[in-house]
Amino acid sequence: MDAFLQQVVAGLATGGIYASVALALVMIYQATEHVNFAQGEMAMFSTYIAWSLVNAGLPYWVAFVATLAFSFVAGVLVERLIVRPVEDAPVLTVVVVFIGLLVFFNSLAGWIFSYLIKPFPSPFPVTPLKVGSVVLSMHSIGSIAVTLVVLTLLFLFFRYTSLGLAMRAAAQNPVSSRLVGIRVGWMLALGWGLAGAVGAVAGMMVAPVVFLEPNMMSGILLYAFAAALLGGITSPGGAVVGGFTVGVLENLIGTYVPFVGNELKLTVALVIIIGVLVVRPSGFFGQVIVKRV
Amino acid sequence: MDRTTASQGNPAAGAARGGLFARHGSALLLLAVIVLACAAPFLISNYRIFQLTLAFGYAVALLGLNMLTGYNGQISLGHGAFFAIGAYVTAVLIDKAGMHYALTIPIAGVVCLAVGFLFGLPALRLEGLYLALATFALGLAVPQLLKYKYIEEWTGGVQGIVLIKPNAPFGLPLNPDQWLYFVSLFVMLVMFWAGYNILRGRVGRAMVAIRDHHTAAETMGINTALYKSLTFGVSALYTGVAGALSAIAIQFVAPDSFNIFLSISFLVGVVVGGLASIGGAVFGALFIVFIPNIAEGISKAAPWAIYGVMLILCMYVLPTGVMGLARIGMYRLRARRLRGKRA
Amino acid sequence: MSALLTVSGLEAAYGLTKALHGIAFEVAQGGITALLGANGAGKTTALRAVCGMVKTAGSISFAGQAIAGRATEDIVRLGIAHVVEGRGTFVNLTVEENLLLGAYTRRGAAEITQSLERVYGYFPVLKQRRRQQAGTLSGGEQQMLAVSRALMLRPKLLLLDEPSFGLAPLIVGEIFDIMRAINRESGVSILLVEQNAALALELADHAYLLETGRTVMSGSAAEFRANDAIRRSYLGY
Repeated sequence: MDAFLQQVVAGLATGGIYASVALALVMIYQATEHVNFAQGEMAMFSTYIAWSLVNAGLPYWVAFVATLAFSFVAGVLVERLIVRPVEDAPVLTVVVVFIGLLVFFNSLAGWIFSYLIKPFPSPFPVTPLKVGSVVLSMHSIGSIAVTLVVLTLLFLFFRYTSLGLAMRAAAQNPVSSRLVGIRVGWMLALGWGLAGAVGAVAGMMVAPVVFLEPNMMSGILLYAFAAALLGGITSPGGAVVGGFTVGVLENLIGTYVPFVGNELKLTVALVIIIGVLVVRPSGFFGQVIVKRV
Repeated sequence: MDRTTASQGNPAAGAARGGLFARHGSALLLLAVIVLACAAPFLISNYRIFQLTLAFGYAVALLGLNMLTGYNGQISLGHGAFFAIGAYVTAVLIDKAGMHYALTIPIAGVVCLAVGFLFGLPALRLEGLYLALATFALGLAVPQLLKYKYIEEWTGGVQGIVLIKPNAPFGLPLNPDQWLYFVSLFVMLVMFWAGYNILRGRVGRAMVAIRDHHTAAETMGINTALYKSLTFGVSALYTGVAGALSAIAIQFVAPDSFNIFLSISFLVGVVVGGLASIGGAVFGALFIVFIPNIAEGISKAAPWAIYGVMLILCMYVLPTGVMGLARIGMYRLRARRLRGKRA
Repeated sequence: MSALLTVSGLEAAYGLTKALHGIAFEVAQGGITALLGANGAGKTTALRAVCGMVKTAGSISFAGQAIAGRATEDIVRLGIAHVVEGRGTFVNLTVEENLLLGAYTRRGAAEITQSLERVYGYFPVLKQRRRQQAGTLSGGEQQMLAVSRALMLRPKLLLLDEPSFGLAPLIVGEIFDIMRAINRESGVSILLVEQNAALALELADHAYLLETGRTVMSGSAAEFRANDAIRRSYLGY
């Protein structure tokens, strides 16, 4: 039972990471119907920025906030400069551009920071928490807490602020949004900025566990895709639920299903993705989309 | 009439218009290039021969991917998987069953045809973006699958399988590198000839029709489901054959060489060379073999930075790739010649 | 009295298809102008042209400023509210969120709340359904919502595209009464596009007739009603 609880908590911690990245993916998908394949690499690059700041002597939380700001601006710039020109292009063009971004950020990180694995600090105490006979990592708990705080702030922002409302409107109905004076282009850019910041949080929470290196996020991105699809790629709430679900599932299957073990984790994600796409493409909470000829 | 619909913003469509290479001038050019290719191995170093051999293999893979993505409009970010299957089928057959390498090539092709066709069946229901996602997932999962401990007996696990470079048969006066060069060149020419015939005929037109307007193609009586799955299968076959060739040339297969970056390299090759272009596959292959060679001198990351920039740049500036540029050049030349005749 | 909106030589095209071949019309300050014509005459295109939603050539002048070629978001901020054909409701947002979006460009929470209360006064059913998802409203209610959202902008000019379309006569009557009241009380000018000519001519003081992208007739509403040809073709008696 103890081992089970530990796996669940660990699963929730990684699930929080998946939920964050999945949410970033959904935010962009809702507004543009494009999946940002480069989300993981952008998050990884932000984490390297954080690492540089910490290495330069900044206290952890200052570096954390500075990285969020950097990621936000980077997201806005990427949208305005790289994505906007191909906004209305066919799917293949957009996918190729996103893959190009993925490759570019990955190689930029490798170039500037080298491919050597680096340790990344955790702001949480090292001594684990003992609840009865269950041993819980403080980083896991802290990770879950940070994720929940970020998700709650986002929720409040979108629900209760005028700007959040405008962003939701712009994502749902750009034409009507323009008619009430919303600058739809900038709303998109803001969405990318927020997605970038959320991704950075995910990166900084996962780096202490998997160690910082340019290919750190590829597996996580895959799981985030699975989570977003499972929850419904048009539903932010679904992405969050999907993320935590996939995190816990991954850990439990990895521990308790013998022929999967730790080695086939990416295949589990692949199976989830294909399964959802084939059986129920709109996921659990998403809307079914009818294609017009 | 079909020009407007076919070329409306689709980067692949513009390139499919051409019929220029069917003229005599082009056939002579092709012959000259083949003669040059046959003479090359006696003039250059073994290492360069090896690089060109690799390029021939990649060209076949790129033609395969181009069929699927360029001509048929199905985006695949996971073709490295089929390359890996082809390579491993060859390696396992040679290593464990002692089969002659030449025989393994068609077998690898057929296995990939089957796997590709089967994968194409559920993939039918996935449009553009979702197919890209699913194939991306496939591409990411391949190295782990290849390291799986329950099939380690055959695949050699993390260490992979080591093969021995074959000597030229019948005592021909060629060193192993030169012999493999000719084997690969021959396979490439055969595959390209077959591909040319497929893509230029009814099948090719059906594929393009499905890409450009799926629903209309259905109403015209094209069995889109069958064509799409078949295209997947044939595309996988090509890539599998390429994988087999590369395994024989490199004499080594290991899981980590078939990661997502291999699949992305294929995408780069197809985009740079030119979507929906047969000749583009050769350009693309040369690009992905020689750029790392040149750029690695700057930094280990440099080739990939270049790839990233090229992918983005090509989508903005050169959506039809290098071949598209060549075609535009040819159009202008012909137009000038025609104008000259009339005047 | 100078016109609030003056359009002349207006051409518009959707891709390669030309929809307007150089039309001209005016909306007087505080007046109500109707654009009449059959399906495909170009009435909706004319409204979209005013809002910068379609590529145009020609001149459009609003409150003395030239607005042709400017972005929709900027034109809207000058005080033009457009109720599109099909309502353009934000279906996944609540009724109140829709209304608040109408006031997006305004400052001053107190004034916005005032406008909200005024709009609820015109259409009490919206107040009842304020927390409901807009997509669950009936056609008539969504039209009320669309008009109210436009009013939340506190526009100088209100563009209405086929407000009666698909609605029961009773509801249409209600909406038109409120339009009349708003025009009289707040001096909001209205440019109305309607296939239902009788309805339009009751509300409007001026009218223009469009046929395949050209203005073929203009005059006061009374003149239109008295015109035999118009009566027979468009008013049905």
